[in-house]
Order: sequence, then structure tokens, then C-alpha cells
Amino acid sequence: MAISTVHLVDDDESFLMAMSRLLRASGFAVRTYSSAREFLAERRDDEPGCVVVDLRMPDVGGLDLQSALAQTPFPLPVLFLTGYADTASTVRAMRGGAEDFLEKTAAKELLLDAVRRALARDEQEREARLHRDELRARFAAISAREREVLGHVLRGRLNKQIAGDLGIHERTVKVHRKSIMTKLSVRSVAALAQLSQEAGLQTH
Amino acid sequence: MNLVTVVFSMIAAACLTLAALHFPVWLRNYDARASLAFAIAAVSTAAIAYFELHMLQAQTTVEFAHALKWAHVPADLLLLALAAFMYHYLDAGWRWLAITAIGIRLVSLVLNFTTGVNLNYREVTSLAKVPLFGETVSIGVGAPNPWMAVGQLSAALLCLFFAHASWMAWRRGQRAAALIVGGSFIFLIVAGVGHAILVYWGFGDPAPSTLSLFALGVVAIMGYTLSADLLRAKRLVVELSEREREADLVADAANLGTWTRDIVGDRLVMSRKLREMFGFTADERLSTEQVVQRIHFADREAFRDRLSQAARRRGDYQNEFRLVLPESRGELRWIAALGRVDFDAKGKPVRSRGACIDITARKHAEQEMLRLRQDIAHVGRVSVMGQISAALAHEINQPLGAILRNAEAAALFMQHESPDLHEISAILEDIRKDDQRASAVIDRIRALLRHEDVQMVTLNVRSLLGDVAMLLRPDAAARHVSLELAVPADLPAVRGDQVQVQQVLLNLILNGMDSLEGLHDRPRSVTVTARRDGAGSVEISVADSGHGIEADHLDRIFEPFFTTKSKGIGMGLSISRGIIEAHGGHLWGENNPIIGATFRLTLPVAK
Repeated sequence: MAISTVHLVDDDESFLMAMSRLLRASGFAVRTYSSAREFLAERRDDEPGCVVVDLRMPDVGGLDLQSALAQTPFPLPVLFLTGYADTASTVRAMRGGAEDFLEKTAAKELLLDAVRRALARDEQEREARLHRDELRARFAAISAREREVLGHVLRGRLNKQIAGDLGIHERTVKVHRKSIMTKLSVRSVAALAQLSQEAGLQTH
Repeated sequence: MNLVTVVFSMIAAACLTLAALHFPVWLRNYDARASLAFAIAAVSTAAIAYFELHMLQAQTTVEFAHALKWAHVPADLLLLALAAFMYHYLDAGWRWLAITAIGIRLVSLVLNFTTGVNLNYREVTSLAKVPLFGETVSIGVGAPNPWMAVGQLSAALLCLFFAHASWMAWRRGQRAAALIVGGSFIFLIVAGVGHAILVYWGFGDPAPSTLSLFALGVVAIMGYTLSADLLRAKRLVVELSEREREADLVADAANLGTWTRDIVGDRLVMSRKLREMFGFTADERLSTEQVVQRIHFADREAFRDRLSQAARRRGDYQNEFRLVLPESRGELRWIAALGRVDFDAKGKPVRSRGACIDITARKHAEQEMLRLRQDIAHVGRVSVMGQISAALAHEINQPLGAILRNAEAAALFMQHESPDLHEISAILEDIRKDDQRASAVIDRIRALLRHEDVQMVTLNVRSLLGDVAMLLRPDAAARHVSLELAVPADLPAVRGDQVQVQQVLLNLILNGMDSLEGLHDRPRSVTVTARRDGAGSVEISVADSGHGIEADHLDRIFEPFFTTKSKGIGMGLSISRGIIEAHGGHLWGENNPIIGATFRLTLPVAK
């Protein structure tokens, strides 16, 4: 597994340098960018990490960066920094779904904890994402007819009812169910239901 | 004593009395030449009466001839006096004509002493006895002197002079004076010449010479007109004092103090009101220097300059100065003065006069207004600062945050077994730089917030705009507005108060950013441009790509309390215009051809 990277984005060169020194000295891998555009262009999708970004930057600001990032398949947790946290900008940032919102002069431990938290969340999200992807790969093996049957099964219908609904023989329904259970390697309907939910599959 | 003696003595006495009355008038006022002429005429008439009495009472032909010869001297003097009186009193007539007539008369006087026994007789052969006033008086009989014609020519010319001068005076409207003076003079001469033609040329019966009687009549008429003038002068004095009282009343009502200054003698006359203003007592004798001593020392030089300038140039002059009154305990009184200098015929300043008014209340009101405006400007500035204080805090926390993070990083690096000293010294250098950056920001904020009197200094437009942009950049970034500066390097410096001009620029740029609120269909920009505007000023323009100004509002946006913003109080542009105009510049707004509006201001180039 790759090492998590803290992506620092700030138009203030001096702060960018100082912040990267602190994070490196604290044991983090750091990469710096002087603008949001630069970061969005250079980041590698699959890399674990988090983003620490200045809220106020000319052109593309921190909130813009966050929404741009959210639309990619591999979003990262975003931690906002600002020179001065006035009410208006705090509200805007929080409403935009900021992971954390700190002043640039905040205490070191607060800052480092926030970075650690962001990285931990990234790890969780990354695992959840991996798990989901794996599940989705498994579900992908199911045929269209099997998916149809699965839908009915998850709604708790009996084989006979399913056969009636789909206009097929009850035995055929049983064959499909068995095939589904095998492909998804589950042994009970309960496990099947949980798995489907984890995969974010539409059951209705 | 017979009646003739009594009558002629009385004529002489009356004439001398009149002369004694009018001669001192001329002595006191040399311009009263008519009075001198009158006095001479009266004395001459008295002398003529004396010689005529001798002629009338002559016992021998020699006595008669002698008296007649000497009678010509006062007679000629009388004619001279009449001509002079006419010329000066009616201020009319051809002077050359009078001089010619008098000249010929002098020739006749010479002939009087050189030909015959006198001008009238070659010789007097006998004395005829004729009655006068019931007495018997003498009259010469003999051969006429043909040179007598010279005297009569002179009389004729003089008549012509009188007639013409009277005609001029008549046409000018001095009808009564022309009629009385001109008529009586001409009558006198006609009577005198008529007597000479009848008696001395021998065309008629011998008749006694009574010229002095006619002359007395003329002198009486002259005296009457002169005293009428005196009466009129008296009436004028009364009217004048009435006018003076009115003028005093008007001056009092208007709180005006008036003065008259005799420049030559440095005598100063001040009205009661003015004495009160200057804190002088009612009867103190005053000089210009005493007045200057009451004036605030800072205004004295200017006051003296004005006085000496006014004495050199014609026209009114105005002056404003402060008074420090002895009992006022340092309280100042403001005075405005309007003066005028009178010059004599040679163009020398003779006297000055004028009026003063106490404008202390007005000055206080003006100062109060100025203070209020500065207060409002300060309030305006503080509220502008309120809007961007977050931006300023942001600005200062950048270097502070960098310093903090650097220091923390250095502390961590130091814990390594072999600390990277290069890294640590680089950190220390960065800390130093950021520290300077922070204090520069603080200095600028302090300069911006300082509440001081206006300080006009030379301002570099480039760095001025740079500072303002520095303050607004974070705000502009947060509002997604690109703030652009276009300032040529060779722009001349301007003159102004840094804080005030910065405030105006802040206001204009913030307005520009406000105008972009809610607009996303266009580039969001505020562009500040500076350029030279002619020889004497620099134009700074703030152009936005916002909504623009509604046509109806173009005139009104500079009015106090006019605003189109939900949160504005509508003072920004009004105060800004006041500030720029106080700097001798202009501030106006206009819509751009396509989108947005531009505000332009001019400031004078520093000399």
C-alpha cells in the first residue's frame, strides 16, 4: 500500500514552505502546489492522502477545489486553512462540507491532529471504496435474468410468486437463486441482502 | 456833514464790512476763490466810493482830475474781481476772453497815467455844479481823452465774457445764479460805460459819477448769492449728519464697524462699533500701529501687505484676520474687512476707509463643518475598514502563520540526532522575512486608520495604488474578482493627503466589487488605471464590469444618503467627492460603452 501524502495548496509561498517543513518534520509525506489548478492537474488519482488548502486564493479558491475534487472518482478529504476565520467564510466552508476548518495560526497539535484525522478518514474511505468495488465486480458477474430474480428475492418474495411474476417455471427460479448465491459466495438470503446493501445496489 | 458824504461813507463802510466777512472764508479755505474775488470787489467798491466822493466834492479841476485818475485803480481791480468771481463761482466762460479783457484794461490803466490828465480827460477846463441828494456836487468839464475808447473796448469784451458765461451757466441749469450774477454784472458795466459815453465824451449833460452806488448793488447781489451758498452748506451739513445717522444705524444693524484713515497723517477714526470690536475705548486716540498690535501675530504680515498693496493699486481690498483682545484670555475674534483707498489728483493715496464685520461665528461654524466632515470621513473610513478588516486580519495572519509553522518545524528538526543546520538557517531566514512582512502590514493598517488633520504631501501614485490593492486583494480573491492595476512607471507624483486619497480609492474599488455581486455571465474584474491628464494633473480611473449605473442615478450617486445598496448608508461617494474637490481635483462617474461603469478622479501634480 502506498504512503499517504499531504497535498498542500496555498498561494502564499512563504506559508506553503513553512507548513511543508512542519509536516515533513512531523513525519508526513508532503507535496506542495501554489494553486488549485496546479494541484488538480498534477495529482494522481489512486494515491492515498488528504488536501490542506487555503480557503482564499485568487482564481480558484479552496471551496472550488473541494467541489472539483468531489466530482472525481477518487475524492480526498479536504482540510481548510484560512488567515482569519470570520463568520461568513466559516459558514460558507462548513456548508461546503469542509473536513476541518482551521486558522493558519492554530495550535500545532490541532493542526497535526486534523491532518491525521483527514488521512485516517481517507484510509477508511479508501477501504470502503475498495470493498465496494470488489463487491461491484462480483455483482457484475450476475446475468440480467439473475439480477431480475435477485430483485424479487431481496423484496422477500417466494419462489412460486417469482415464477408467477416472471412467467417462468419455479425450478428455473431455484436454478437462478443457486447460481446467484454461488457467484456472490453467500449461503443465506440474509447475507445476500447485506452484501447487496454494501454494494449500494438498488433493490427496489 | 452833508448827505453825499454820509451816503458814500456808508457805501464804503458796508463794502468793507462785507469784505471783512468773506475774506476769512478764503483764508481758511484757499479753494473758496469766489469769496476772495468778492472781498476784493467789495474793497474796490469802497475805494471807488472814496475817490468818487473826492470827485463830487472837488473844489478845483486839478482835484477832480486827480481823484478820477486814481479812481481807475479800484475800478480796474473791481472788474478783475468780477471776472474772477464769474469764472470761479459759475465755473463758466472763456478764460482767454476774460484775460484779454483784463489785459486791455491794464493797458488803459497805463494810458490813464500817461495820457491827458486821466483816461477820461485830455484836460479838465472847468467844474460844473449839479445837484445830488439835495446837495450841490462837482463834475468836470473839458476835452475828452480819445484813449478812453481802450477802456470801453475792454468793458465791451468783459460784457461779452459775462454774457457768454451766464449763458453757459443757464444752459447747465444754474438759471437763478446766471440771471442774477450775469445780469447785475452786465448792468453795472453798461451803466459805467453809459455814464462815460454821456458825460466824459460830452454827448450829454454833465452828470455826477455814482459808479460806487451801482457797484454796491452788485456787491450786495454777490454777497447775497454767497450767503445763500453758506445757507445751503448749512442745510447740507444738517442733511449730512442725518445721512451719517442713517449710515450708523445701518452699520449697527448689520454689525458693521467703519473706519476712515488719513494716510498722510496716520490718523484713524473708528466708529463706536469698530472700537468695540477691537476693544478700544470710545475716546482713545488711535493709530494704525495700535490696530496692528491687536491682530494675531500670524496674520499681521498679511494685514500689512494688504494695506501697502491697496495703497499702490486702485480698487477695493478685502482682508480677513484674527484679533487677540487683551481681556479675551486667548479667545480669538475673526474679522473681515472691506476697504477702499482714495487718491488725490496726482494719484497719491490720501485716505482709506472701509467697514469691518465680526465673522467669528461664521468661522466657528466653518471649522465645525470641517471637523464634522473629517469625523464623517473617519466614520466612513472605519466602516470601510470594517468591511475589509477580515481581509486585513487574513493578510497579517499569513506571515504570522508561516512564522509559527517554521518555528515548530525548526523545533522538530532540532530533535534529530544530527539536525540539518542548512535547513534550520533557511527557516530562521524565512522567519525574519515573514516578521518584516507582518510589521509592514501593521504599518499600513496604522496609517490607514490614523485619525489626523489633513496632511498634504507628495504622493507616489504607483505605490499608493499598490498599497490599496494590497489591502483589497484578499477581499477581491474571496469575492472572485480580479483586481488589476495598470500604472505607468513615469507618472508624476501628486499632492494630497495619503489617508484620504486611499480612502477614496478603497471606496471606489469596493463599490466596483459590489457592482459585480451576483454576476457570473462575464469576467469579474475591477481595473485601476492611472495616466497623466494634461500638464497639471493625474487621472486615476476605477473601471468595473458590473451592472453599470442607471441613467437616472448618474446625477444622484454623489448626493449624500443616496444609495442603491441594501446595506449602504449612501455617504461613500459624497464624502469621496468632497475629499477630491478639497484636493483641487474632480470625481465623476460614467457608464462604459459595453458593460460596467468607470469612476474617474483627478489630482493635481505636485509642484
